[in-house]
Amino acid sequence: MNVEEDRRAFSGASQYVLDNELAKIVNISMSLEMPLLLKGEPGTGKTMLAYAIAETLTMPLIVLNVKSSMKLIDTLYHYDTLTRLNDSRFGDSKRDVRNIENYIKMGKIGQSFVAKERTILLIDEIDKADTDFQDDMLDVLDQMEFDILEIDKTIKAKDRPVIIITSNAKKDLSDPFLGRCNFHHIAFPEPDMMREIVQVHFPNISQDLLEASVNTFYRLRGFNEVEKKPATRELINWVRALRADPDFKVKNLIKGDIPYLGILFKKSPDYAVAQKHASRFRL
Amino acid sequence: MGIPVSPTSFLRLQEALSKGLINSVDDFYISARSILVKSERYFDLFDQVFAHYFKGIELSDPSGVDLAEAARALLDSWLRDPQAIADALGIDEESLSKMSPEELINYFLERLKEQTEAHHGGSKWIGTGGTSPVGHSGYHPGGMRVGGRSRNKSAVKVAMDRRYRDYSQQILLTRHHMGEALKRLRNMVPSGPKDRVNIDESIYRTMRNGGEIEIIFDRSLRDRLKIILAIDNGGWSMDPYIDVIQSLFDYARSQFKDLKIFFFHNTIYDYLWADPQRRSKPHSVDEFIKIDPETRFIIVGDASMAPYEIMATDGSIHIEERSGRPSIERLQLLSRTFRHSAWLNPKPSDEWPYTRTVNVIRQIFPMFEITLDGLEKMVAHLMSKN
Repeated sequence: MNVEEDRRAFSGASQYVLDNELAKIVNISMSLEMPLLLKGEPGTGKTMLAYAIAETLTMPLIVLNVKSSMKLIDTLYHYDTLTRLNDSRFGDSKRDVRNIENYIKMGKIGQSFVAKERTILLIDEIDKADTDFQDDMLDVLDQMEFDILEIDKTIKAKDRPVIIITSNAKKDLSDPFLGRCNFHHIAFPEPDMMREIVQVHFPNISQDLLEASVNTFYRLRGFNEVEKKPATRELINWVRALRADPDFKVKNLIKGDIPYLGILFKKSPDYAVAQKHASRFRL
Repeated sequence: MGIPVSPTSFLRLQEALSKGLINSVDDFYISARSILVKSERYFDLFDQVFAHYFKGIELSDPSGVDLAEAARALLDSWLRDPQAIADALGIDEESLSKMSPEELINYFLERLKEQTEAHHGGSKWIGTGGTSPVGHSGYHPGGMRVGGRSRNKSAVKVAMDRRYRDYSQQILLTRHHMGEALKRLRNMVPSGPKDRVNIDESIYRTMRNGGEIEIIFDRSLRDRLKIILAIDNGGWSMDPYIDVIQSLFDYARSQFKDLKIFFFHNTIYDYLWADPQRRSKPHSVDEFIKIDPETRFIIVGDASMAPYEIMATDGSIHIEERSGRPSIERLQLLSRTFRHSAWLNPKPSDEWPYTRTVNVIRQIFPMFEITLDGLEKMVAHLMSKN
């Protein structure tokens, strides 16, 4: 999520932790040693939050980007058979081929277990994986240990990592999964917050354009028939387009003449709905 | 309606309390919510209960229509159709267009106070049983939000704000959701030439050979699932569900390679039709036993009709379907022929027990709601081994 990362670079993590509510939830989850599940629309800064927490607590952050094809074992460790084969055939490395442990590489969850200090483990977009993966993973995180079959060794977490899980899904995750997590839902930013975000991206934006574009944006988001509502990312790109167009006048936007709807609405039925309604706008 | 809370979560909250992590009502509000409530859909309910308990705020009647909700609907329809709303409120469109949304809502609420008699049924905008398209339900989560960002407020105040009202409504089933739910409706079998390198197997064999490289090829996986979709497209009773069935239909068409679609009216008698008009392409139900029994047979319909339509030997309203077999026998035949079959009902499942024919059909076909949950359960049922 580039949008959030940019923001971080500009304004620092303190922006996010200001949210008192969230700070408390993080603290509670840490003391209860429970994973924290963050949900919310795309563009609400879920991923960014984990970075902010890591920065504030000055703990190293390990990010596991979940992919749909991922198997649990990939996140724990990887037995690098190819390197071992290569070493055994050509013998040009200093590794001891007979010791398999030299060829075990830790996955992201494995790394967080063997790290020297307590870490923050961000498991990003858990909803991409199937339910079995999710449940199995929580088993491992619950017990804080896993076995490496190849060398018959059990890896135990020295310090329980702080686990933050994000999900984009509209539907709920499985009950056993939810049962083991604390839960928080990040709402879509309010217009005030959104103005700030836009300003961070376009520091020299004129006040008129800022007002008009953010207001229009929230109006457009208000259409109930729209399937995919525009998020922060779309707004930023849209403002960029408005600023790039030499013929564009803020006045027209206030009058309800909205150019580049295609940047905000990316599905053709949504686009049609937006276009139909947009003409009725008076700000 | 309540919030599902597991005993474990409750104990965990006790643990948090006993550890001294919770020192104020604010702390309690936040911790209780994050520990006990596992979905944003219940956040609003939690807020209401919290405010009720700690401040004695009245709980809103879940069956009634929220006033602010109605006002939002009004605002929405105003954007859509200024003329109609101007008529409804008795002001001309010109002055209406000069009002800000807030003014409009206030004006509207005042009018509402003046109104003395109850306003149900035939009204245009509010009331509980109306036919207005902008009713209480159907809101997207994250729509237009009333209420502002809250900082440094007490928990009770925050709870009273009911910030999560928009998230409490049922999720609309979009095409994307449907795809997600039906994604697992697949039967991958290897077919075609052996042209894929199986890396894991190659490595394993190579190592077993003591390093002599051996490369293993496999056939690629193809989806071999056959699906028959039978859709009830007759009669007014299915009209409210056209949208959701249309997206189901679109999705199925784009996604499944081996898909046959048939149509029927209310229930199945001697024929299923391949054309939506149910006129020119009849397929005799008797012929269906020749089809591969592994085919997944999915029927979509509200299963609601007069009992004789399903029980009587001459239940069909079509004169040519007079074989003397009642529909119930036809349905049983289909359910015996296709062991993986299901009935999708667009009606919400809590309404099922009130319709007799739904109960009859449920004994023949496993019935599922057209919701995310329902679709997922159906897929699990259709893909189960036995």
